[in-house]
Amino acid sequence: MAEPSCTASHPSKRSLRGLDWFVFFVADVQTGFGPFVAVYLTSEKWTQVDIGLVLTAAGLVGLVGQIPGGALLDAARSERFVAAIAVALISVSALAYALYPIFPVVLVAACLHAAASCVLGPAIAAISLGLVGPSAIGERLGRNARFASIGAGLTAGVMGVVGYLISPSAVFFVTAALLVPTWLTLRTIAPREIDPEQAHGNAPMPHKPNNRQAEPRAPLDLRRLLLRSPLLIFGGCILLFHLANAAMLPLMGSVLTMRLSDWATVLIAACMVGPQLIVAIFSPWVGRQAQRWGRRPLLIAGFAFLPIRGVLFATVSDPYLLVAVQLLDGLTASVFSVLVPLTIADLTRGTGRFNLTQGMVGTMTGLGASLSPTLAGYATDSYGSSVAFLSLATVAAVGLTAVALLMPETRPPPEPPP
Amino acid sequence: MGGRFRLIVPAMALLILVSASRVLIAQSAPDTAQQQPASPAPPAGTSLPPAPPPATPPVAAPSVTVIDAQEARGIIGNEVRSAADENMGRIVDVIVDGSGRTRAAIIDFGGFLGVGSRKIAVDWKALHFVPAASKRYGIMLELTRDQVKLAPEVKEGKPIVVLGPSGILEPLP
Repeated sequence: MAEPSCTASHPSKRSLRGLDWFVFFVADVQTGFGPFVAVYLTSEKWTQVDIGLVLTAAGLVGLVGQIPGGALLDAARSERFVAAIAVALISVSALAYALYPIFPVVLVAACLHAAASCVLGPAIAAISLGLVGPSAIGERLGRNARFASIGAGLTAGVMGVVGYLISPSAVFFVTAALLVPTWLTLRTIAPREIDPEQAHGNAPMPHKPNNRQAEPRAPLDLRRLLLRSPLLIFGGCILLFHLANAAMLPLMGSVLTMRLSDWATVLIAACMVGPQLIVAIFSPWVGRQAQRWGRRPLLIAGFAFLPIRGVLFATVSDPYLLVAVQLLDGLTASVFSVLVPLTIADLTRGTGRFNLTQGMVGTMTGLGASLSPTLAGYATDSYGSSVAFLSLATVAAVGLTAVALLMPETRPPPEPPP
Repeated sequence: MGGRFRLIVPAMALLILVSASRVLIAQSAPDTAQQQPASPAPPAGTSLPPAPPPATPPVAAPSVTVIDAQEARGIIGNEVRSAADENMGRIVDVIVDGSGRTRAAIIDFGGFLGVGSRKIAVDWKALHFVPAASKRYGIMLELTRDQVKLAPEVKEGKPIVVLGPSGILEPLP
C-alpha cells in the first residue's frame, strides 16, 4: 500500500490488448452455456428430469467451487496458467456436449464447466490486478466489462443464428473451437508483467537483483479477513442484488412470449443484447468515475435502477416499452461488473486474499441467483407476474437501503505523488 | 515453472475428483430416469408391441414387429410447426392417462437461446404427424402462435391445463 509508485508496474500495450481480447473470447465461450443447454438437451431427446438433474448438479458445483477456486488462484504463482487450463476444460466440456449428449458424459461436462468457471472469472480479475496494479484497476475493470459485454452480445446473436440455421449442437462446436483464439490472446499477455503478489491483493513483489524469487508474503489470517465488517455488508448486499436481479429477465421473457406471438423471440434477443451494448458504452466511464467520485455514489446509483426496473415491469404492459425498461439493466450491469471486483480489490488490499474473497462474494452471487427464480416462480404461481416483479423490486429496495446506510466508501486514500 | 505445476496439478486433480464423485452419486439415479423416454417415444425402427397376455401358453415366444423407420419414430425433442410453418417449439413430454391413451403433448414454446420459453400442454388431437409420404417427417400443430401464447405454463404437481384443438383451454381431469 505504502509502496512508492516507482515500483508500480507498467504493463506493455501488447499485454493490455491481449487482456482485452482474452476477456472478449472468454465471454464468447461462456455464452453458449446457460439457458441454452436446456434447449439443446431437449433437442437431443432428453427428458426434463434428466435435464433438471444435470443443471442442479452443475449449479451446486458452481456454488461450492467458488471459494476453493479463489483459494487456488491465491495459491497459484501464475494466474495466466490457471486461466489457460480453465479455458481448456470449458472447451473440452463444450465438445463433450456436442459429441456425446448422453447422461454421464453431459453430467461430467456440466460439472467440469461449472468448476472451471469458478476459477476463470476470478482469474481474469486477478490477471488484471496483477498487470495494472491497484491504482489503475478501476479503469481496467471498466475496459474488461466493455470487452466482455461486446463478446457476449455478439456471440448471443451469432449463436442464435447458428442454432437456428444449422443445429443446436453446432453452437457447442463453435464454442469448443473458440479455444484457439482464446489461448492465442492469452499468450500475448506477457507472464512477467503479471505480478503474482499484486494479483493476490498484496503490494507488488520487491525486485531484488541477487535473489530472484523473493519469498511470497504470508496472506492475512482467514478469521481476521472474515471479521472485516464492510466485506460482510458487501457480501450481503450482493446476495440481495442477485436475489432481486437474476429472475427478472427470464420472467420478463416469459411475459413477452405471452403477450406477443411473432416478435417475442426478436424482442427477447433485444432484451439480452441491448443491455450488453449499454455496458460496452458505459463501463469504462464507470471505472474512471469510481476513481474520481469514489465507489459509494456509483454503487448506490447502479443499485437504485433495480427496484425502478422491477416496478416498471410490474406496471408497464406495452411489450416495446418493456424492452426499453430492460435497457436499465445495462446501467446496473455496467456499475456492478466494474464495482464488484473493484470493491473486493479495495477491501482486500494488502491481505493476499483477493481471489479467495472474490470466491466468497461469488458464492453470495450464486446463492442469490439460484434462489431468485424460486422466489419469482412462487410469486408468479400464486399471485401473477406483476406481484412477482414487485416482490423482486422490494428485495432490491432492501438491498439499496442496506448499501446506502451501511456500506462505507472503500476507495483508498490517494497515493502521494512520487 | 516446477513450482507452478506442483500447485496446480493437485488442485486440478481435486477438481476432477469432485466431478467424478458427483457422477458416481448421480449415476445410480439416471439408470431409472433414462428409461423414461422409451415409454412415450418408442425408438425409431424396431418397436416392441404390447406384451402378449400372460394367460395363454406360457412358452409363447414374444412376437416382434418391425416398423419401418419412415413409418413411425420417436417424438421427444422434435420440432413442432404450425400450419403456417411457424416454429412452435419442441415436444418435451407426452401426457398419458391411466388407460394408456395419449392426452396431451408438452411443448417448450418461444424464447431465445432458452430465455423466456414456457412449457405448454396442447391436446393430442391438435397434433398431426406428417407420415412418410412427404419427404420430411414432421409434426404439425393445428394452432397458431397467437392461440398458444396465452396458455398457462405447465408446473410440476399442478393440474395440467390443456390447449384444445380449437384453441380453448380445458383442465385435464
